[in-house]
Amino acid sequence: MAFLEIDGLRKRFGSVEILKGIDLDLEKGGFLVLVGPSGCGKSTLLNTIAGLETITEGEIRVDGRTINDLHPSKRDIAMVFQSYALYPNMTVAGNIAFGMEMRGVPAQERQKAIDKVAKVLQIGHLLQRKPSQLSGGQRQRVAMGRALVRDPKLFLFDEPLSNLDAKLRVDMRIEIKRLHATTGTTIVYVTHDQIEAMTLATKIAVMRDGEVQQFGTPAEIYNNPTNLFVADFMGSPAMNLIPATIDGNGNALSVVLQREAREPISLRLADAPTGLSAFHSKPIIFGVRPEALTDPEGAERNASNIATADCHIEVVEPAGSDTFAVTNLGGKAVVARLRADANIQPGTVTPLAFNLTKAVFFDPATENRIV
Amino acid sequence: MSVIATPARQSTGGISARTVNRIVVYGLLALFALFYLMPLFVMLVTSFKTMDEIQNGNMLALPQAPTFEPWLKAWGETCVGLTCAGIKGYFWNSIKMVVPAVLISTLLGAINGYVLTKWRFRGHTVVFGLMLFACFIPFQSVLLPMATILGSLGRFGVTLRNATGFSFGLGNPTVNLVFVHVVYGLGFTTLFFRNYYEAFPTELVKAAQVDGASFFQIFRRIMLPNSMPIFVVTVIYQFTNIWNDFLFASAYAGTGDAMPMTVALNNVVNTSTGVVEYNVNMAAAMIAALPTLLVYVVAGRYFVRGLMAGAVKG
Repeated sequence: MAFLEIDGLRKRFGSVEILKGIDLDLEKGGFLVLVGPSGCGKSTLLNTIAGLETITEGEIRVDGRTINDLHPSKRDIAMVFQSYALYPNMTVAGNIAFGMEMRGVPAQERQKAIDKVAKVLQIGHLLQRKPSQLSGGQRQRVAMGRALVRDPKLFLFDEPLSNLDAKLRVDMRIEIKRLHATTGTTIVYVTHDQIEAMTLATKIAVMRDGEVQQFGTPAEIYNNPTNLFVADFMGSPAMNLIPATIDGNGNALSVVLQREAREPISLRLADAPTGLSAFHSKPIIFGVRPEALTDPEGAERNASNIATADCHIEVVEPAGSDTFAVTNLGGKAVVARLRADANIQPGTVTPLAFNLTKAVFFDPATENRIV
Repeated sequence: MSVIATPARQSTGGISARTVNRIVVYGLLALFALFYLMPLFVMLVTSFKTMDEIQNGNMLALPQAPTFEPWLKAWGETCVGLTCAGIKGYFWNSIKMVVPAVLISTLLGAINGYVLTKWRFRGHTVVFGLMLFACFIPFQSVLLPMATILGSLGRFGVTLRNATGFSFGLGNPTVNLVFVHVVYGLGFTTLFFRNYYEAFPTELVKAAQVDGASFFQIFRRIMLPNSMPIFVVTVIYQFTNIWNDFLFASAYAGTGDAMPMTVALNNVVNTSTGVVEYNVNMAAAMIAALPTLLVYVVAGRYFVRGLMAGAVKG
């Protein structure tokens, strides 16, 4: 039995269904990230777990106990809000201790708990300040301190890093990861940033329109997306999704990519998914991540199925650590990820290596993966 | 503004258009300010003059021998109707009526605003709309119905006193006025607090809920301490309105010992014992106006922006 279980959760506001039957579970000490575009219901889902929103149907269990109708303070949870929600009239110490004060914890114990948390988060020197005297990163720490001090069964984070600048966001991301590793707490974390999702999670739930599109480990989500939405949403730069057709017969299938004013590219598939033979000469979507499309020297050595094709390079974007090259296949701009020092010029024709073991195929009609 | 902000110099020689504009603008402003302050000035100088000086001198002239006599007389000796004990008793009447009326209406308005924004219920917009409507009721139209209600409350008070020996203040004119001002002030105080709390970050309330704070704990520990600016605005507004009210005061406490300051002042001026003592009348009017000025001077300091800074976002 999992630590956090969500069964058939539905949430309706009037006639509008915000959550359309969510099933998720998370083991103790796990880190679940709910990710999706804005309006997908991820924050609503978190609020129902917190008890700040009622649920229309379904059940939420933590550690075997159903918490559907419990008051937020009785659920043994702690929450970090997007805006941090620090009480502006109280000092940092007062903020951290407020929950304990409400539960009637004696002052001496409160002080002990504050000191302990302040040490973990290195905010000891800030305890007597007001939130308005803190920087963004410090407020973030205090907000986490307020959650940590409860020592709850479940931590809920609602886009906690979205108000920080880019550099601080990376720092705090590492901090949260370290905190999770050292304290071993169970965390549910909402974000719209797929990099945060990939780096932090042990489990990711990709959501759209109140439904879970895919639920799995970061590697599963990244390498085996179940549909076009997940493939497109996760990864940066995004996966290349190229309209293509299937040619050949039996075991000797190849994928054909149309090009402007040039011969189509035909890539022979060594171990095509079995479902693909049904799509013979029908349109499909060929998905290949930028890192699986690279210069032949930079291609993965032990990949079993690499096909090379000459491509016309339209734009080159040196990004420092890598160089991105843009070509046009099947009427779409396709991004290839090359080594930083790759010798490549815009306007030239250069061979690119397709790592076909990493390629995925989608049915354009249903948008689902072809397996 | 645009006149002042125009940077171009029209000509290099003589007086530029910019200077002319400035003279016109500041000249007009000064004129209006002078016009606005004139009555106050006349009141102030007259209250420090002797009667002889008023009768023989210029209204605008400064007092030749400033004297506090009119102020002392207004406070302690002048005649209000038939009793000649000054206005001090009525001053305290007003204080006793205004302070509870302001505090109760402000607190109730704060609770209303809190519920109407953070604990919304079905039909909250209708309730708010009706409360808003209360702001637009002409008070003349409620004089008679309210008099009937106060009369009933008074009779109920008599019944209570006969039964328990204590009337719980029902029928007392001061209590009546507090009641009337609370009822008719609620529309405004609710409007003020609702609009302030509408922009108040709801995440703070949610965080406090997760922390286990109850409805009133959230109100007392989170909402109220962060409401200083609107609290001050509401208190100043209510204090000024209730202190200056003449209509309700004269209708429900126009005679007798509970008469508030405004009615007493009217009676001072209307009392004719031969010579009209302008200096005493002016001094009494100044005394009547002082508390509202004082409230503004004291509370105005708390009109500080940015009290909410640091609550949310970086």
